[in-house]
Amino acid sequence: MEKKAVIFDIGRFRNTDGPGIRTIIFFKGCPLRCKWCSNPFGLSVQPQLAVNFEKCTACGKCAQVCKNGVNKIVDGKLEVNFSKCSQCGACIVPCPAGCRKITGEEYTARELYEEARKDAAFSRRDNGGVTLSGGEILAQYEVAAEVLRLCRQNYINTCIETSAYGKWEHLEQIAQYCNIIFVDLKHIDSAKHEEITGVPNELILENIRKLADYAVEKNIQLIIRRPIIPGYNDEDEATIGAAKFIAELPGNPEINIIPFHNLGENKYDMIGEEYIPKDLTMLGKKDDIIVRVKELTEKYAPDCRVSVGGEAIDLNKG
Amino acid sequence: MTEKACRGAALGNEIRSGTVSKVGSTKRIQELNGMLHANRPNIDITRARAFTKVYKETEGEPALMRRYKAAAEVYRTLSDNVYDYEQLVGWPTKRIRGANFAIELHAHWLADDLPNLRTREYDPFEITDEDYEELMNVHIPYWKDKTCAAQFEKYVSPELAARSQTGGVEDINNYSCSNGSHFIPRWTDLLENGFEKYYNTAKECLEKLDQNDPKAVDKRIFYNGIMEVALAIKGWAERMSAACAKKAEAEKDPKRKAELEKMADMMKQVPWKPARSFYEAVETAWCACFFLFVEGAGPSITWGRFDQYMYPYYKKDIDEGKITPEEAMELLEELYIKVTSNVWFQSTIMAYIFGGYYRYPHLDVGGLDENGKDATNDLSYLCLRAMRYAKTTSPAVSIMLHQKTPDSLLYEACELAAEGMGHPSMFNCESLYEMLAHRAAGLEGYSNYSRKQILKYGSPIGCVEPGAEGLQYGHTDSGIVNVANCLFCAVTNGVKANGVDGGFCGELVTYESGAPETLDTFDKFYAAVKGQMEFAIKECHSALVVCEKLLAEQFNLPTFTMLLDGAIEKGIDATAGGALVNVGPTMNMVGFGTMVDSVSAIKKVVYDDKEATLAEVRDAIMANFEGYEDLQAKLKAAPKYGNDDDYVDTMAADLWEHFATVSAGLKLYRAGQYCDAAIQMVQSNVGMGAMTGATPNGRLAGTPISDTMSATQQADTHGPTAAARSYGKLDFPAYTNGTLLNMWISRSELVE
Repeated sequence: MEKKAVIFDIGRFRNTDGPGIRTIIFFKGCPLRCKWCSNPFGLSVQPQLAVNFEKCTACGKCAQVCKNGVNKIVDGKLEVNFSKCSQCGACIVPCPAGCRKITGEEYTARELYEEARKDAAFSRRDNGGVTLSGGEILAQYEVAAEVLRLCRQNYINTCIETSAYGKWEHLEQIAQYCNIIFVDLKHIDSAKHEEITGVPNELILENIRKLADYAVEKNIQLIIRRPIIPGYNDEDEATIGAAKFIAELPGNPEINIIPFHNLGENKYDMIGEEYIPKDLTMLGKKDDIIVRVKELTEKYAPDCRVSVGGEAIDLNKG
Repeated sequence: MTEKACRGAALGNEIRSGTVSKVGSTKRIQELNGMLHANRPNIDITRARAFTKVYKETEGEPALMRRYKAAAEVYRTLSDNVYDYEQLVGWPTKRIRGANFAIELHAHWLADDLPNLRTREYDPFEITDEDYEELMNVHIPYWKDKTCAAQFEKYVSPELAARSQTGGVEDINNYSCSNGSHFIPRWTDLLENGFEKYYNTAKECLEKLDQNDPKAVDKRIFYNGIMEVALAIKGWAERMSAACAKKAEAEKDPKRKAELEKMADMMKQVPWKPARSFYEAVETAWCACFFLFVEGAGPSITWGRFDQYMYPYYKKDIDEGKITPEEAMELLEELYIKVTSNVWFQSTIMAYIFGGYYRYPHLDVGGLDENGKDATNDLSYLCLRAMRYAKTTSPAVSIMLHQKTPDSLLYEACELAAEGMGHPSMFNCESLYEMLAHRAAGLEGYSNYSRKQILKYGSPIGCVEPGAEGLQYGHTDSGIVNVANCLFCAVTNGVKANGVDGGFCGELVTYESGAPETLDTFDKFYAAVKGQMEFAIKECHSALVVCEKLLAEQFNLPTFTMLLDGAIEKGIDATAGGALVNVGPTMNMVGFGTMVDSVSAIKKVVYDDKEATLAEVRDAIMANFEGYEDLQAKLKAAPKYGNDDDYVDTMAADLWEHFATVSAGLKLYRAGQYCDAAIQMVQSNVGMGAMTGATPNGRLAGTPISDTMSATQQADTHGPTAAARSYGKLDFPAYTNGTLLNMWISRSELVE
């Protein structure tokens, strides 16, 4: 049987994560558990029930149709026991507020390519195309590689976003079809990396080195992203260490600093998970923390372009 | 949303409410804008007086002669107000934001509704007590049985008269009450020659007339009438010149005095003689526009390709150092303010459908030249930019897009779009030119336009209807067909919902296309939907042609006629077929998305999934879904138009085609022309929705139906590119009277 990937969203008409107008395909499932993750739907590979409690009117329709007793109205408010849910989907259509969905659907590579192809007419003038994101695409690398191959074969610009946490052979299979690769460097210190993401970083650093070589060889644009999360990875040593590491890579990859945002917070509620960095506020590009990180990065990686925010990246090389 | 975008929306609301408005690039514009918005829409009875006077004096005279004499009398009695800060001269009314309305088209409903005019829900108008008394006692009694709508009822059955005016499935009110509309005058010719040319042409034609040609009988009346109207326009300009000179005399500020003297001098030249400068050209464009808004009762007097015919005057003045781009933009801003002052006066039922006073003037930039090259020039940018400062609702500033449009002009347009005021409209030249090539030509033929004429003069009129400068006349919003209600009737066997607006509630409002119990296959149901559409289109058409005849015979328009290329030479009035291409009445579809989504929902729930019967759907929509919430939820979950989903888009394309084909096959009263289909009725989705019961897409009774050809509100959930791909599956040029798509895109997608 043809291999399928679990996808939790296909976003059309996006203008982030690559040049031009893009279709972003979000792969479900990730081996990391970054505490600030803004896309919690991407963590588990299993399809999940998601409920937007803000739109819920507590009408009780979902409680009537559910066979597992997942939904209950208690004191005029909806309570959902997500652990009991079997993802049967019976509660989706009857909900009059339209606040329920099953996140996570299976697609073959060909089906995903067809989705990406739909908007090719809009993106041909501005180098737009498809971006594979997640979750972590390496967890479903076979389908990811095949989607990218089909896109490249049909002149659709390709980007990926990855944590680089996986086997190099798998990453290489994907990378060979990319115009642009975004790779995260969340912390340069392995112990701290493990503390904030759940995994050590040796494999990631090793893969970034290999990617940098590979990118130079294959003329792929590599962009290294540093999400800056106050209290997690914004200390000077982390910035200096990361900058020094990147400065030694071939090809002087651009370093893109991403200020912390909490736009994913209410998605945690939707799947019954708890959001950890509750007390953090969103950072702006001109906040002191970010200015400091940028200055240090420029100082210790003087030959690399340093940008703040996704829209500031120089994407003309991809 | 950014802070700036929020501010833009707030400002828009404040301007609409009239509480704040002093915006503009200069002090002059800020003051004029403030003056505009300090006034509430009001009624001027000058035109009504002129018409009553002339018609009473000319009982028994030929219809056209009376009409032209009345039109001339209007020019002789127009106000000669000149206000501070103005550079452009002339107003259509005694008070700013007035409506010098057409009593001969409105008296029938005013007879009942004048007492409510000041307080009615949509589009209330102010009126002085004296004018109110005069209207009530003198003008309304004289005219109430003579209007087009009043006479129409003598030609048709009482059922048709009622269904076509209050049924909510089809509607002809806009056609019968808005004669004189939707027009691009021959601006290029008018600027180059002035109205004097039309006087001279009429005079020459009269002199050359073969008195033994039987057609001379009517033509003599026609030419004498044109000459009288032209001279009345000349007289108006002379009065305005005197008024400016008088104000100059009293003016103490030497700078303003010089301006007023210049205005007095200008009015001795234009619009009677050729424009000598950009300033005079803008003045001609202004006064001819409001002449037509006074003579005609309808919307959409259009400037067409303004940046093209104005450019020679602009360039000459710039080259000679007589004007700066900033000064030129100030004139444009004043023009925008003044045209916004032209409010549309409508009957109460029409205000309900088209509420908002907006009169759809229209100004285009960009496009191609007659050789197919990009026509963009400096004025194209200036016209777009002026709107960013003036921030007025009118005119609809538009950009005509094509493969060669420079990115910089497109960006200028996006900057304006990001202001969030609904400007500019964007038109695709390719579709526009194809529509013009088949304008009024039926299913098989080609229009009278040559390719060069289309390239040089073709542009949208009013909202979106294809037109050509000086070459086309015809009311283009004529008939409305509410296909959401057609769909409703296909489910209910022709019965309208209870408890909604308009007549025929709970009664047969169309025809019996089959009880739902008998529509046991999707094909049968689909045929009923198409049958209901066809019935409504044809019934609407049968009513419209009656009005078309009445308008052509009795409601003639001399100034429109003068501004049509070749009409004077032909000796035929605009309403009677004087144009190269005579358009209308047209057929305009409303509620497309609601209909399509409803068909999709029924196909999915009733025929594919068999989760309910059509009879149950009928019961549910008749009950406004009360007690049928589960069925409503299932219907709501069906595939929706606007998401690039072929399940529904294939039916959308087919129903789209059906409407256009039925319409284009219908002949009109004036020989040789056919009905044009359109889908462009802005605003009407609210009034028409109020007359429509609950629909099987889950929509509740009385709420707005889908707007123009756009996806149903909130139904296009896959982003603008998916929606655009759905729209791209439809055959746009089949709608030879135009298509309109509204898309809302967040500001952040347009500007950094």
